[in-house]
Formats: sequence, structure tokens, C-alpha cells
Amino acid sequence: MSTRQSATLIISDGFTCCAKCSASIGPAGQPWKHLTAVSVTKVSELPGSTSSTHQSVEIRHFSCPKCSALLDSETALPEDPFLDDVISN
Amino acid sequence: MDPITFSIIRHRLYRVVEEAVITLKHVSGSAITNEGHDLMVSLYEADGTLLLGGVGFLHHLTSAAEACKSIIRRFEGDVHEGDLFLLNDPFTAALHTSDIYLVSPIHYKGELIAWSACFVHVYDIGAMNPGGFAPDAQDVFSEGFSSPGLKIVDRGNLRQDVWDTILNMVRGPEMVALDLRSMIACNNVAKDRMVALVEKYGLPTFQETCKSLVAQSESRLRERLRELPDGSWQSRQYFDVKGEVYKVLLKMTKVDDELTFDFTGSSPQSKYSVNCTKWASLGGLFAPLFPLLCYDITWNEGVIRPIKVIAPEGSIVNCTKPSPVSVATVGAIQSVNNAACTTIAKMLASHDKYADQTSAVWHANHFAVFMFGKNQKGGDSIGILTETFAGAGGARTFADGVDIGGEIPNPISRMANVETVEAMFPVRYLFRRRLKDSGGGGEFRGGTGGELALIPHDAPDGGLNYVLSGKGSKFPQSEGLDGGNPGAINDYVWVHSEDSKDGHDCFSQSLSAIPGEKESISWGVFPLMGNDALYVRWNGGGGVGDSLDRIPGAVLTDVTNSLISPEAAREIYGVVITDNQVDEVKTEELRNSLRSERINKKVEQK
Repeated sequence: MSTRQSATLIISDGFTCCAKCSASIGPAGQPWKHLTAVSVTKVSELPGSTSSTHQSVEIRHFSCPKCSALLDSETALPEDPFLDDVISN
Repeated sequence: MDPITFSIIRHRLYRVVEEAVITLKHVSGSAITNEGHDLMVSLYEADGTLLLGGVGFLHHLTSAAEACKSIIRRFEGDVHEGDLFLLNDPFTAALHTSDIYLVSPIHYKGELIAWSACFVHVYDIGAMNPGGFAPDAQDVFSEGFSSPGLKIVDRGNLRQDVWDTILNMVRGPEMVALDLRSMIACNNVAKDRMVALVEKYGLPTFQETCKSLVAQSESRLRERLRELPDGSWQSRQYFDVKGEVYKVLLKMTKVDDELTFDFTGSSPQSKYSVNCTKWASLGGLFAPLFPLLCYDITWNEGVIRPIKVIAPEGSIVNCTKPSPVSVATVGAIQSVNNAACTTIAKMLASHDKYADQTSAVWHANHFAVFMFGKNQKGGDSIGILTETFAGAGGARTFADGVDIGGEIPNPISRMANVETVEAMFPVRYLFRRRLKDSGGGGEFRGGTGGELALIPHDAPDGGLNYVLSGKGSKFPQSEGLDGGNPGAINDYVWVHSEDSKDGHDCFSQSLSAIPGEKESISWGVFPLMGNDALYVRWNGGGGVGDSLDRIPGAVLTDVTNSLISPEAAREIYGVVITDNQVDEVKTEELRNSLRSERINKKVEQK
């Protein structure tokens, strides 16, 4: 029995899992992004950016380490922590 | 009570607001009101409780409730039939001084039974910069006339001394007078229709309906919250003023049938006028909450009761007097709005029943360009570029965002026609159109923003000047959802040209083709004189889902329609287009390669 956490994550048997391949990411009810595959793209390098774009701001992509499904993304400055989204147990 | 009578009265209340809005628009002469719809009308109970939030900028629904309550306290024993009160002090209830509230008590047979309230962004408020947005202000005292409560009409008689004093403090007093008269007319219509309603159904039935309406909204929202899982969701917004970076950080926690919005960790208040007061923050978070979480619930006090807000004093979301706040509505208020939009969307996405009600962030970065100067008819003109209301839709979980589709906090926002602007100001548009590569990438793409360029035209003084403010051009702010990318970033470019042959004859169709030196600007007062040009591009909506899952044919269509570049098709969507066709084999290879790159990166601990 699993329940939905987001469009890309489910909660199953006490774990936060990838909705696509069901692989366990980490314990449910806990921050999970640090357990994913994280890739970072500078916003200034994306098509559509301008010369005014802050040189450090980045888009973080969090992917399932097993099937590479994209789980979430966030905009951040490098020194700022991951944003945590948690469903209570 | 009888459910049919209840329903009829509820709908009549909506009609009261609609008719009052129409009155406001038709009487006001300001483009920001009748073209951009920077307005709001709402109804309140006798004690100032929000009874029915109307349309227009929803940030104002809770602030106008506080305005009513503040007037009730300040004028205790001195509120009479036919009175009308003005309030625009940001540290009492308003968002900034330019957004004036006129609130009107509604009496029936001598008894105070309700209030109506409305606002418009008046033509001018006497701030140090024309139009009210004052990037040069160092405190609220430099941001124009400000009142915590003023009786402007006494028992049906206009107080001429008060009227004259207000108009003596502003630029374009005839236009400000028209704004104020539009609000007086609006409140009069609301009052007349409310009295007619009570006359027809009787006061006890009306009052019972009001109580039931508020109780129903509270009950329905609490029921909805109980359906959703408990949890906490975070979001973050960055913006920039003159190289200083500010952050609005939000943690939204849902426990049972209550929601808490905690802004702890947001930046300290700024020396610039992007701050917002606690009333403005409250309005900022309710603006997306009403339409996203309560799309089928009447917007009133019942929706407010289950919500708690923590906004640290002295921060950019709860500044202390005399911090400047004139740019708040395109500053920190909008960041609060965006942050709340994201956390609410994430919460809705956690439940199958509500997943298709979510949306990435729409139009996260308003810009305020207030032009001022001598117009082609010899008069003075002050006015905003209403393109700032023509935002981009965030993508949904089932469809792309709407290109130049408006914004969530104002369901009736829109922009003026090019010809309208050219008739009011001595300017000519070189172009105005959708902006390529502005919609955030995703399985469903964010709606595109736009771009425009203006040059002086037929200007007695050789051109105009303009006040530019907002949240800068350094950070994307229309966040994506479920892995979607944010929409692209605003930018403002002042093109200088010394060569007299270039400017006035210019018909350039892109920024790069406009002759002259190009300087990025984002804050202050600038000229649009001689052969200058002003280029503005504004942000797209956030995307939803993985860009590598977008149907390749949809990417090809976007390229064909010049909404995305071939470069973006390849780098963001992993789609290879050859001879105007999708190369399916190479697309699959490229997408597999891009997915592999994602998981082969080193995991970073934050």
C-alpha cells in the first residue's frame, strides 16, 4: 500500500520512494533530497538568460539514483540549503 | 436557513461587487484602473469582518478588512449614515500609500449593517517620485500623503477642506480627483444595492446569511485541509535591488485543519522601498491562497481563521516604521505571494484528488515603469506601463501555462492596447510580443512572458522620464513544480543614441537592432529623451514536470512558433530537430544522455 507524496514521490512501507521505479530514497517523514542524485545548472548558462542574470544562481535537479527520474527542482544560491518538503508519518 | 434563499443572497452579494467594480472602472480616468484593473472591491460585516472578497488585486482583501476595523476603532461613536472614510497608511492597514482605501459604512434604517471598501492605485500621491513608486525614498515620510483614517464625506456631504488638502499634495490633482470620485461612486453603488437587498429579504435574513456564509467558508476550508496530508513544505524567493540580494523564506506547515505560514529566516528589512508591512505580508499570502485552495469556497473571514502567520518584526516581510514601502506591491509582497503559491501547490500535489488543481508560479516579477512628463497634447501625463499586469501563466499538471496570461493574485488583470498608450504618452512602440525562451521548461511549459521597446514620439519636451522599480533582473522567480524549471528573468535596457539620424526613424524589430549603447538598468529614474529607447522583457511562468518528458512534437511546435529556440529544444528538452522535423532516434539518444548526466553528478550535501 502506497500513498502519494508528490507527482514524483510515493510513501511505501515507511519509506519515501520514487513514483516511477518504486526505489527507496529514504525514510518517510524525513528530508530526502540529500539522498538523491543532484545536478546543478547555472541559470546564466540557460537559453533565455541575459547578461543581467546573477552569476551564481543555480537550478538544482534532484533525480532518482536508480532510474534517473526527475523528482524535484529548486532555484538557489550555492550557499543556501536544500528546501525540505516532508509529509508527516 | 432556507438553502435557496441563502444561495440567492450569496449570488446577489457577488452581483453587488461586480456592479461596483464596473462603476469604479467607468468613472476612473486612469489607465492603471480601467485598463490594468489595479483595483478591488469587497464587502464587510458591521464589525469589519470580511464578508465577501471581490475581484481585482486579492492582496487587498485582508488589508481592507483591517482598514474597516481600524476606522471602527478610530471613529468609535462618530460613524454616521452617509460617511465615507479614507485610509492609506501602510503601517495601519494599507499596502503602500498609493493604494488608497475608501471605506463606507452601510446603514439600514439607522443601523450600521455592513461596510463596503474599494481601492485604486491613484494617479499620484505626492511621493518624491511621480506615480507613487519611490525608489529614491529613504523612509515612508518621503512616499507621499499618508493617513491612518480620515473622514472625507460627512453624512453625505463632501468635506471640501479635506478634499482640497489632499489634492493640494499631489501631481495631476484633476486625475486624482477622478480616482477618488470613482471610489465614492463605487461605494455608493455598493451601498445602494446592499440596502435594496436587505429591503427585499429583511435584515434578520440578511444577517443570518452573512453569519452562515462565513461559517460555511471556514467549515469547507477546514474540511479540505483535513483531507490533505499533514506535513511541511518550503519555498524561497530571491530578488535584487542595486546589487543587494534579498530573500523571502517560507515554511508552510499543515496540521489537521490549520495552516501556519512561517517566514522566519527571511532577510532583514531593506533601506530600499521594497519592504512590506505585516498587513501587506498577510495580503500577499492570501492572494494565492484564495484562488488556489478556495477556488470553490466564498472568500471571506472563514478562510482566514484556520491560517496562522509568523512574520518576524524587522524583517523584509514585517518592516518597522519608518521603513520605506512604496515599492512593496512589486517588491516583497509579491515574493510572499510567490512563495505561498509554491508551498500551497506542493501541498495540493500531495493528494490525488487535488493534484490537478496545482500550478507552477505565475508572473512572479512585476515591474513598475511609471512614465511622466509633457504629453503630445501639451498636458502632463503620469502612468504605468500596464504590461506589468500581463504576466505569464504557470504550467499546470495537465497543460502548458497561458502565454501572457495574467496572474493569480488578480483574476481580472490585463494590459492596455499599444494604441491606448501611444495616445496618452508621446511614445511609439517598436514592438510588443511574446518572449522567446521565457516559459519555464517542463513536461508542461510555463507560459511565455513578453518584450517591448519604446521610443519618444511627437514629444514637446523631446521625450519623457520614467521611474523604474521592482525586484531586479538577476533572479528567476516564477518557480517550477514537480521538477519544472523557473520562468526566465526580467530585464530592462536603456539604449542611448547620440546620432540624431538613428532614433526617431527607428523601426528596429529587436533589441540588438536598436542603434545605440545598451545599458542594463533596474532601479531609479531614467530618461527616454531624444534618441533613447527603453527595452523591457518580462518573466515567463514556471514549468511543471521533467522537460525531457515533454512530447517532442510539442517542442517542435514551440520552435516553429518562435516560442523556444532550437538551442533550448536541444539543451533543455533534449529534442533534436532536423529540416523542421523531430529526429526521433537522435532525440532518444540525447535524452538518455542528459538523464545519465543527471545521476552521474556527485551528490552534494546541503
